[in-house]
Amino acid sequence: MSTDTEKATGQTSPLRRRGRTTDLMVRWSFMFPAILLLVTMLAYPIFYTIDISFSRFDIATFGAAEWVGWDNYREVMSDYRFWESLRVTMIYLVIALPLQVVLGFAIAYLINVEWAGRGVIRALFIIPMVVAPVVAGGMWRMILDPLWGIMNYWLGFIGVGPMDWFGDPTLAMAAIIIIDTWRWTPFIVLIATAALLALPKDVFEAARIDGANWWSTLWSVAVPLLVPVIAATFVIRWLGAVKMFDIVLAATYGGPGKATNVINLFIYEEAFRSLRFAESAAMAVIVLVLTMVLTGLFLRASRKLEELF
Amino acid sequence: MSSPAVSLPRRSRSSLATRLRIAGGILVSVIFLFPIYWMILTSFKDQVDIFTTPPKFFFTPTLAAYVEYMKRADIVNRLVNTIIVAAGAGLLSIVVGTMAGYALARVRLRGAATFGVVILLSRGVPPIALAVPMFLVARKLGLIDKHITLILAYSTFLIPYVMWLMRSFFMSLPRELEESAMIDGCSRYGAFFKIIVPISLPGLLSTLIFSMILAWEELLFALVLTSRHASTIPVAIAGIAGDTVNGANWAALTAVGTITVIPVVVFALLVQKWLIKGLAEGATKG
Repeated sequence: MSTDTEKATGQTSPLRRRGRTTDLMVRWSFMFPAILLLVTMLAYPIFYTIDISFSRFDIATFGAAEWVGWDNYREVMSDYRFWESLRVTMIYLVIALPLQVVLGFAIAYLINVEWAGRGVIRALFIIPMVVAPVVAGGMWRMILDPLWGIMNYWLGFIGVGPMDWFGDPTLAMAAIIIIDTWRWTPFIVLIATAALLALPKDVFEAARIDGANWWSTLWSVAVPLLVPVIAATFVIRWLGAVKMFDIVLAATYGGPGKATNVINLFIYEEAFRSLRFAESAAMAVIVLVLTMVLTGLFLRASRKLEELF
Repeated sequence: MSSPAVSLPRRSRSSLATRLRIAGGILVSVIFLFPIYWMILTSFKDQVDIFTTPPKFFFTPTLAAYVEYMKRADIVNRLVNTIIVAAGAGLLSIVVGTMAGYALARVRLRGAATFGVVILLSRGVPPIALAVPMFLVARKLGLIDKHITLILAYSTFLIPYVMWLMRSFFMSLPRELEESAMIDGCSRYGAFFKIIVPISLPGLLSTLIFSMILAWEELLFALVLTSRHASTIPVAIAGIAGDTVNGANWAALTAVGTITVIPVVVFALLVQKWLIKGLAEGATKG
């Protein structure tokens, strides 16, 4: 087995053994800083969370005390607020993710017409994407304000409202989804635009010559070609959406009642307001496992989809 | 834009359809930009102009909100903190992440591929699962409310991000680049720093800027790991938005919000071409 360098230079020097060890060290040195940082800042905290989740948390020493087995997990599993919070998170994910992916690709198609302003329009879509989520939450809280917000004022013109955006549980969830969609759809638009531009043109030409109409071209040519990108976009967006925290914190703080209390906000409150660190750790571990399993499933499904088309 | 548009499916479509699409595209972008415009506009209003029906589009602008809340919400100090943390986390992650990304793309290492998959999976770790132990450890070590703590915390999501982007970037470079350099007597480090880094500079710069933006906006770790001295702007915004005691302080919210958003938008538009390219590659090759 020869190393990279030997392949490149074609030399087998007498110092080969020593050279090989040095080379191996040099090569690993590229990786080492990342490994070191990620082990201390990522792997170690996860193991510490697991440790706390199986222990009694001692407020006096502010650390894990004795091992209590599955006690924290049992307690969390019997807490209806935990289930409620998972349910709320799921509603958000099930509605927001498909909505954003479909809307993102639709808008990308819309803005992909060849004209002088196309580049400018595409660049403008970067702007919402870099607005801090916490700012987005606060800003929309003002726009959707039941009394003074400009949204209700405008809805009044078409005879809708006034809508109590943050007082009604269903509307509050709708508000969260609207804000999140506003913040994240542009991100999908940009990916989708690039994907549309990369589509092979001759296939569409052929479909046109064969007399395929717009709809059948979309479904039997464009969508199958786009499936890998759509699947990848969905997975990326999913990885971001399960971290939902900032927008809810700024816009509704989980309210009214617990109607928008997504899991990350609930765990945050339990840990840092109620100081129930052991239970929070148990919840965090459950969420971590759930996320990993679902991410694995999605990655698998997207690979299957790719083979299918 | 030189690349031709893919039109679905007829390229010789009637110009009416094209015009409708253009109009639709402009309308959608106006809808998406309006909330930001409205926030910036509101930040220049006084209280009387904010709380009024119908909403005012024309008024005498005032800087009152900026002057008042720059002092009150400790914004200058927070701005400095946010800059330090964003720059620190961005620079640390770009150096560490680029080297690791290069190793994944080019340097054949046993076990490195596995490490790459683990890194990819780490993007699924909920930050709250890290925030609890980080808080407890930082508290024990007396590292709460320090810039370095936030910088290290942010590297947990920035390094994987940089690694992944730069990996796909390096894989797109021709292999002969370093090979010929190393035949000419360059060491592996020499080839990396003298050949690879210089030609990757635009990509590196945009990745750095985007990493800094991600750090600039982060809320959860900042809430948990800082209190007074090293606290950042997003924490202030969360505080103003969530202040139910004093009611909606829209002047403060919009002024601080505008200060947060403007620099980021300027930087993002500066690197927009690279940003779009990076996003597209991240999605298609990731």
